[in-house]
Amino acid sequence: MNLLTFKGGIHPKEEKFYTEDKVIREMPRPTKVVIPLRQHIGAPCELKVAKGDNVKTGQVIGNSPAYICANVHASISGKVVDIASMPHPILGHCLSVIIESAMEDKWVEVEHYRDWEHLTNEKLRMIIKEAGIVGLGGAAFPTHVKLSPPEDKPIDTVIVNGAECEPYLTSDQRIMIERAKDIIQGLRIIMKILSAKKAFIAGEINKPSALSLMAKASKGEKDIEVVPLKTKYPQGSEKQLIKAVLNREVPSGRLPLDVGVVVQNVGTALAIMEAVVLGKPLIDRTVTVTGLAVKEPQNFRVRIGTLFQDVIDACGGFDKEPGKIIMGGPMMGIAQKSTDVPVIKGTSGILVLPKKEVNLSHPRDCIRCGRCIEVCPMRLMPNMLGILVERAKFDEAKRYHLLDCIECGSCGYVCPSNRSLVHFIKLGKFKISKK
Amino acid sequence: MDKLVVSTSAHIKDSDSIPRIMWGVNLALLPVLIAAVYFFGLYALGVVLSSVISAVITEAVIQKFLFKKPVTVSDGSAVTCGILLAFSIPPSVPLWLPAVGSFVSIAIAKQCFGGLGWNVFNPAMIGRAFLLICWPVEMTTWTSPLDGVTGASPLGILKEEGFSKVVEFFGNRTTMYTDLFIGNVRGSLGETSCLLLLVGACYLFYKKYISWHIPVSFLGTIALLSWMTGGDPLFAILSGGCILGAFFIATDMVTSPVTKTGQLIFGIGVGALVVLIRAKAGYPEGVCYAVLLMNTLTPLIDRYIKPKPFGVVKK
Amino acid sequence: MLKIFLNGIFKENPIFRLALALCPSLAVSNTAFNGLGMGLCLLFVITSSNVIISSVRNLIHPKIRIPAYLTIIAVLVTMVEAFLHAYVPALHKSLGIFIALMVVFAIVLARAEVFASKNTVWKSLMDGLGMGLGFALAMVLLGIIRELLGSGSVFGYNIMGQNFKPILIMLFSPGAFLLVGLLMGFFNWYERRFTKNL
Repeated sequence: MNLLTFKGGIHPKEEKFYTEDKVIREMPRPTKVVIPLRQHIGAPCELKVAKGDNVKTGQVIGNSPAYICANVHASISGKVVDIASMPHPILGHCLSVIIESAMEDKWVEVEHYRDWEHLTNEKLRMIIKEAGIVGLGGAAFPTHVKLSPPEDKPIDTVIVNGAECEPYLTSDQRIMIERAKDIIQGLRIIMKILSAKKAFIAGEINKPSALSLMAKASKGEKDIEVVPLKTKYPQGSEKQLIKAVLNREVPSGRLPLDVGVVVQNVGTALAIMEAVVLGKPLIDRTVTVTGLAVKEPQNFRVRIGTLFQDVIDACGGFDKEPGKIIMGGPMMGIAQKSTDVPVIKGTSGILVLPKKEVNLSHPRDCIRCGRCIEVCPMRLMPNMLGILVERAKFDEAKRYHLLDCIECGSCGYVCPSNRSLVHFIKLGKFKISKK
Repeated sequence: MDKLVVSTSAHIKDSDSIPRIMWGVNLALLPVLIAAVYFFGLYALGVVLSSVISAVITEAVIQKFLFKKPVTVSDGSAVTCGILLAFSIPPSVPLWLPAVGSFVSIAIAKQCFGGLGWNVFNPAMIGRAFLLICWPVEMTTWTSPLDGVTGASPLGILKEEGFSKVVEFFGNRTTMYTDLFIGNVRGSLGETSCLLLLVGACYLFYKKYISWHIPVSFLGTIALLSWMTGGDPLFAILSGGCILGAFFIATDMVTSPVTKTGQLIFGIGVGALVVLIRAKAGYPEGVCYAVLLMNTLTPLIDRYIKPKPFGVVKK
Repeated sequence: MLKIFLNGIFKENPIFRLALALCPSLAVSNTAFNGLGMGLCLLFVITSSNVIISSVRNLIHPKIRIPAYLTIIAVLVTMVEAFLHAYVPALHKSLGIFIALMVVFAIVLARAEVFASKNTVWKSLMDGLGMGLGFALAMVLLGIIRELLGSGSVFGYNIMGQNFKPILIMLFSPGAFLLVGLLMGFFNWYERRFTKNL
């Protein structure tokens, strides 16, 4: 079969067998959560509660007048015991609200709309903004912003991203298997807001049951099509996905909406459905807890703010001595220095690698083998970018399209010299942004 | 639990590394070594060992005492360089000669430029060029396989006396091709047995350590140009180290272009230069100098042949 | 004064540190004798030109100083050539065109421009002597090494014995290039070590 895909990319070991057959379970409610006020791209939230307040599940504890921002809600009911700067999986430290759980899980009053078809698009966007929904694939960009394209850029196609190309992670796959109907409903809401004519649900062919269930759920809906894609990393990257499904190339430095497309992760589609139909704000998400060093790998539905340690304990703790704890997948995830960090909206997985799987060998000089160029999905020259950043030639690196890099890590994965090419590229981007 | 490793993504890595690639190349060269010992006797093994040992010692000494860097001889690249140098010189040379050549290869062509990855020229070929300039007599004394009689190499006969004499020398065309293919001819230590070189090359292809671009464009250009100039294309390819050069020397990652298109251009350039040198220059064979000349163009090729980035429109 | 003199020999040795006048050093340092001859000729030329130019430095209009310098140097070089032709014809023959080319050697003009045109006669004399001697020593060093490795002898006396296989490359310019490069590296390394110990 000739499957759709893009040029370049790599085939790392999938390692999804740990959790791909495990049904998503509700993780027991933690006794304490740490909810950072900044879990998304954009302005940080302003604090709306004070120390000592009693909060209910779903209560807004942080919001902001800024447009690019997503509300933060209490994920359990209980008492605010402290407001302090706490460890954060991405930012290092962030002002966070610490809530100690009460005996029962009391929810705030929510409004929900089973008959959302009659609502205006403005109202729907409002609900999504209020629910604090962000892209759940990992980038955590506020969804209501993504769903408000400028007037002059009509959106004709929505792609629901179920590629989940990162090795180990299975949360999207499980959502598709267990909540296919709800995802379709979420997709319908997105299509209504954008007035899009056509939608695709795209997934890698290594999850056949998820794809067939999605196809079954969307049967009879002519404008929704399920497309199987070749299993290849980074198939789930927005630009590569659009290229594979629609053969459209997002211009350098532009967004998918410039080619009339909006891509939403399956998890996001589900969260939109839950926010609109059930009135539930984004207070939990599906997290794959996996890796050889975890005793019982699981797909968990975890309240936002639960500490990694509690999540890992709920999986039976460590099986082997952990060498590396990663938030996200092994290709793009962020290594953590401790387990005291909370699950945030962008936490798609917690991956614990045992000591022996941690790559500690020393980097060498580039031997110009050209493999990174072959695999780069953006068709860049990572070898040159690495050398130029090493030599602090940032302007030259910019001419080699440093800023187009999506940091997928394919180059570092294949590099026989074991060079941390993504590290150099991130450093280069940082230095250029400082100029 | 107190010691977690923190690093940038990606957190996983495929299994290939420099040592793996270099030792893979060495392994691919092993059958040729066996052929060399069969055709030229145990002395051939001595030549290779002298070259390899000198290369390894030179690299270790320079890294340890001169640059005070970690010694990286275990990555196998010095061994590769030593083997390739020994393979490209005549089997009858005195044993000190490959040792000197390896010293020059490693010290001047590799370490002076900054070590593996930074060398502009193929170190083994620099060593060979050095030896050829310094000791031309030793470097052009060819012995016959098996019986050890000295005489001219097939390309030498071609240069001096013409193609018909070459055919006469072998008997007829069929024996010429088979002898050249099996390696039953006078020539450099490791260049004669095209058959076993191809076996090694297949291994490199299988492991994806080399791609088809340089060998095909290199040999294709030689065949095409020698056919156009009235020569025998098959003879041109099978003689004078072309197979060794095409699969093992020109494909050296460090000194060839990084992009596939660049590699095609590189291969065509080497092929054209080989034909030109054989036809017009003073040397009967030309792979060594052709590769070295194209090495100088590699940075230029890399500067102009770049992949078109995703989503970038040409203005 | 001594400092200016020594400056040319070590710290700013024309060949190994300033990388000037490389063309003759590559071309005529193939034997120790040629190197010495070339060095002595240049020693005379650079010293005399430094002295003359510094003594007339205030008379030369800045806009035409280069032609003026060249004329002075050309006169000196012509004298040298005539002298060699008359008394040492063998050396004259082996140095050939490079005697005349001394007119445009970068080192002579550079010292005239950089030093002699701004300093007193005495200082310029010392600078010329230092630079000339530095050049001559470097040439002799190159000549000795190249002759030794390339033909197994020094100043024509066989040293390496009959069994030595000469390293022919040392007699050609590529060998000279390699040697100059390696010696430059050696002097850089030596200086770095030396200054570190200070």
